[in-house]
Amino acid sequence: MNPKDDNPSGEVARTLVEFLEVAITMIVFLKGFYPSAAFERRRYMNVVVQRARHPELRDYIHSAAFGLLPFIEKGLVERVAVIFFSEDNVPVERFIFKLTINPSCAASVEEGQLEFALRSFLIKLPVSKSLVKPLPQNCRWEVTAYLRSLPQVCSSKAEELWIPTDTKQWQKPPVITPVKSLNSEPLCLQLYVEHPSLSEPQPCQA
Amino acid sequence: MKRSFGSNSSNNSSGSNKKTKKKATNSSNQKTLGVAWGAASSRSSFRSSPFSDFGSYMEVKNQKLQNQFETEASASASSHGVSDSEKLIFQGVSIFVDGFTIPSHQELRGYMMKYGGRFENYFSRRSVTHIICSNLPDSKVKNLRAFSRGLPVVKPSWIVDSISANRLLGWVPYQLDQLNDTQPKLSAFFAPRRHLAPQVALPVTSCQPETGYSETEEGSSIIAEDAEEARDHVDDETDGVYIENTTPEMTEETRTNDLQSSEVNAERLGNNDIEEKQVSSELQFTPNLLSASDNRSFHASGKHDGKSIAPTSGSSIRRHSTLEDPNFVENYFKNSRLHFIGTWRNRYRKRFHGSSNGLKCEDSGQSTAENAKKSTIIHIDLDSFFVSVVIRNRIELHDKPVAVCHSDNPKGTAEISSANYPARAYGVKAGMFVRHAKDLCPQLVIVPYNFEAYEEVADQFYDILHMHCRKIQAVSCDEAFLDVSDLKDVEPEFLASTIRKEILETTGCSASAGIGGTMLMARLATRVAKPAGQFNISAEKVDEFLDQLPVGSLPGVGSVLKEKLETQKIQTCGQLRLISKDSLQKDFGVKTGEMLWSYSRGLDHRSVTAVQESKSIGAEVNWGVRFRDQQDGHHFLQCLCKEVSLRLQGCEMIGRTFTLKIKKRKKDAEEPVKYMGCGDCDNLSRSITVPTATDDVEVLQRISKKLFGSFCLDVKEVRGVGLQVSKLDSADPSNKGSRTLTSWLSSAPASVHIGQDDSLFAANFRESSDCKRHVAGGVSRLRESNSAESSFQSGDTNSSLPPMCHLDMEVLENLPPELLSELDETYGKKLFELIEKKRGKRKINSNSPHVSSDGTACIKGPKSLSVTIYGLSTSREKVYEEPHVPHPSVARTSSERTIEITDLMPSSLSQVDVSVLQELPEELRAYVSGAFPAHRKQQSSSDAPMETCKKQDQEPSGTKDAENGIGFSYSSLWFGNPPLWVEIFKVSGNCILEKFSEIYYKMVQSRPILSSVLQHTISEIGSFHDASANYLDKAVYDVCELLKQYIKLKVEGDIEEIYLCFRLMKRLAARSQLFLQVYEILSPFLQASINEHYGGSLSIP
Repeated sequence: MNPKDDNPSGEVARTLVEFLEVAITMIVFLKGFYPSAAFERRRYMNVVVQRARHPELRDYIHSAAFGLLPFIEKGLVERVAVIFFSEDNVPVERFIFKLTINPSCAASVEEGQLEFALRSFLIKLPVSKSLVKPLPQNCRWEVTAYLRSLPQVCSSKAEELWIPTDTKQWQKPPVITPVKSLNSEPLCLQLYVEHPSLSEPQPCQA
Repeated sequence: MKRSFGSNSSNNSSGSNKKTKKKATNSSNQKTLGVAWGAASSRSSFRSSPFSDFGSYMEVKNQKLQNQFETEASASASSHGVSDSEKLIFQGVSIFVDGFTIPSHQELRGYMMKYGGRFENYFSRRSVTHIICSNLPDSKVKNLRAFSRGLPVVKPSWIVDSISANRLLGWVPYQLDQLNDTQPKLSAFFAPRRHLAPQVALPVTSCQPETGYSETEEGSSIIAEDAEEARDHVDDETDGVYIENTTPEMTEETRTNDLQSSEVNAERLGNNDIEEKQVSSELQFTPNLLSASDNRSFHASGKHDGKSIAPTSGSSIRRHSTLEDPNFVENYFKNSRLHFIGTWRNRYRKRFHGSSNGLKCEDSGQSTAENAKKSTIIHIDLDSFFVSVVIRNRIELHDKPVAVCHSDNPKGTAEISSANYPARAYGVKAGMFVRHAKDLCPQLVIVPYNFEAYEEVADQFYDILHMHCRKIQAVSCDEAFLDVSDLKDVEPEFLASTIRKEILETTGCSASAGIGGTMLMARLATRVAKPAGQFNISAEKVDEFLDQLPVGSLPGVGSVLKEKLETQKIQTCGQLRLISKDSLQKDFGVKTGEMLWSYSRGLDHRSVTAVQESKSIGAEVNWGVRFRDQQDGHHFLQCLCKEVSLRLQGCEMIGRTFTLKIKKRKKDAEEPVKYMGCGDCDNLSRSITVPTATDDVEVLQRISKKLFGSFCLDVKEVRGVGLQVSKLDSADPSNKGSRTLTSWLSSAPASVHIGQDDSLFAANFRESSDCKRHVAGGVSRLRESNSAESSFQSGDTNSSLPPMCHLDMEVLENLPPELLSELDETYGKKLFELIEKKRGKRKINSNSPHVSSDGTACIKGPKSLSVTIYGLSTSREKVYEEPHVPHPSVARTSSERTIEITDLMPSSLSQVDVSVLQELPEELRAYVSGAFPAHRKQQSSSDAPMETCKKQDQEPSGTKDAENGIGFSYSSLWFGNPPLWVEIFKVSGNCILEKFSEIYYKMVQSRPILSSVLQHTISEIGSFHDASANYLDKAVYDVCELLKQYIKLKVEGDIEEIYLCFRLMKRLAARSQLFLQVYEILSPFLQASINEHYGGSLSIP
């Protein structure tokens, strides 16, 4: 975090990044990707959340989220996806955070208000287990960000953590299940889950 | 969420989450409960535990927690090492936190730890002293004693505030709002103002400030209390009394009593004390007193005058910002001085229209230059108009400092709008805050506006002027120029003094006059003459006068220009005159330079002319503008539009250009000093020009909403909004019909239709004068660019023709010759050449086959036309994007028809004429039917006889729908609060729809979203009785429309809500035919919108 950076939209972006870190951890926990003992209960924004115990996992999520900060501040990030892949690298489930920051009115927002709004995501997430599908064997997951345009030359170290990717896509438009939507003035954030549509050609099992 | 259990040791401990138990003291009862609960869950976990039962476990647990707390507390105490006296503010306080709090209960625990308090994890009557919570469920509030056991229930801010105050504050003010009902209400918001009203009134009433003030100070508490009770009552009363007081008879009476006033005054002062306390009672009787002895009646009227301040205090009950007052705009303008001045002009114009007309003719006939040399102009100005009119009947105020201000708020943050000369002597000026003015002049009397009186006096003033002179230029309601050059037989000075005398006699207000050779000199002379005098600057004295005149006093020289001049060491007009015109123009710009040059010589080329036609009409509000959300903003805009539209109609004008001005709070601006003022703002403005001049309020609303949206700003930052209409035309009553919204809108989609080159349609349904637009519309249709995105812009194409290369030749060729030649003209005769060229290259298909298909299309035309209206803005885009069918022109015509059908598709099939479909080529028909909702398919392919009867059936319902579409302009079903649909559904006649709106009204406080309405519908309606078939269609259509708009509204930002709605719809669909149809019709639309925005389909389980 950069305390000397005073611009208010940066403030929103920082809160958002912090929130993303927590939310991504929650999603990974929710999916049961790691044994639940790998997480510990913590309190964030006055609600109970999970935090990874393993330093590397924690660090991965943390660096992924905070690496996004410069892009979010520039308003480049359109979606942040937590994608779960099957063995043959075909996505089976994608949690999408679709976000829009309106910098023009970010100034007026109070920290408390935004927190209040984001808290609803953290409350909704743990009870969304019914939406998700059981994980296949030998799966893996990653965090992918979709930018509105390609960023300029990397200026800071944090930005270098993110690399271009060509994740495999579904061939048919996916089926969307919304989890939570937040539509407030400085920040519009929607979380929804994408599953491959039924008509999606099944990857041949190796 | 914690649960507490009954235990042996603390028999009352089960308070926090359980239901009331009347026998709370009956410990045995509780014990069984606790044990029963504990036994159920603890069988497995406690079997091996060392505790005999749950109760003893809890006891030990509590003990352990307590010990933990204590050790932590002592640890933190030693580590921080703060002196005990300072920090142990919560000594003896033991809190129990219930539910969600801010700060969280963990933080609260930390505070208690740090500041010597105790924190209980489990509620117990014995150990807990305060319950902390921010919210309580209704059940707990109702049974508060059972919940709290008589302990105080306090908000967490008590702890936070106590810490910041570094002492234990009383908990009473922090009691939970839900309990003591201290939730702030509007009335409470204004209560403090009311308290002070008597103080305000006092100086006036008593004419003897000292006694008045001391009285108030001594008895302020009593008075405040009294006032609390009596005020409402007094306010009502005074209104009546006040009116009484201003009637002419009363004025007479008051005047005759003038002489007695001094004696009476003394007596009155003596009585003052008693009277003060009896204000309210006496007021009630005053009408009777008036008819009593003279002495008494004066007395009473004096009293009233004093009381006439009450409307000010009363008016402060008027709500002060856009936030609280739904009629804010209306009230704002009712109380605005600027508004009065602004609208006065129209009044004047109407009143003196005939005479000013005469002047105009004369002016145009004679050359002004001829008269320029020896012209004489009188400038006449009422002295401190806004004050003197108000106090003209109140002799006792004449030599007191008085100022007019819209409110006499004790905070003194209102601006003084005008002050009389005694007040000016103290340095009180217009625009000053009341607070500052009172610092300068403590005995300053503040009076409210009296707009009726202003109007009356202004009319009298101009009546007098018109009696003496024909050439009058009204500058404002209290200021005018008279051109008396023609009146050779009267001395201007004599004339001026006569006029002034008459004004004083008639209106009771003094006027000042300045006489000079030009308007400039006359105005400058008035400045010297003021107050209540006159001054003549004859031609030979001009130079002398100007020599010493500071540049700042020239009209048109503001502070900025003055500063610029001063940096060049120019302070007086004399110095200014030494500079050449060229260098002035170089330094200050051509116009300003010219103005400075001629003004410094006393030259003024303007001549006295009648009121100019205003160039723009508008309204602006920059006081009290505060929006909570977008909806507030839109509501405000609506009101503003209404006001502007009224003003336009008042002036009988219509306008084409609409400019929306926004004052946006500057980023670092603080809350303005002036109460509800706009503070430091950025000014933004945008404008749009529409092809047809209008004063229609709906058009204004639509346009302004769009403009407002285009600013893309946070409504919370908006501090002022203004709407200006320019490019004015006079509204000719004969074409009034064509200016209505419906015709304007319908002409736009019409142009889309005519683009399909059916001249028949144009000839049949449009007057020939309209044809031009249609052609232009046709042209716009031909454009292949997608840029036109809104209905205005597409309308705009009237004025801007697309370049010729963008025209589609095929369409052009098929235009009827008349239209083509007209088009040709607009393109400067080059069109024909172009067509000829193309023709040479290509063979044209014979025209005959598609004439027939045109014919069918035509018949259908008007029906679908009127239906398209509501969906205009969106459907337009689609039409543009649709790829052209490259083949024969027959196909084109039909394909365009198809496109339209696609647009209409989801709403209802009833608008689509099946016979048209039958005429279509095979592959197109397949395409069209493919686009139908699945369950409609067979209908479109049904056989001919069925169709015809169906067609007849559908005809009436189709037109009905169309009418509705225009009637309540479907584009804004979700606009307003409550949204428009609620009203429409209420009167729909369908029980389900009525239920919808009823449910909405029940929850209207919380501005419910659709999903919660649906939710309630499901739970409240057990079974749905579907309406008879013909009503069903209408209801289906209405609900579809509602949902469609909702989807459009929400798809961008809130698919969660859409998802909820559709899941609920699905549940409803299982029970009701109506919802089943709606669901089936809308599903494709929903998925399409989701796909467009999210690249996927919504799963609705």
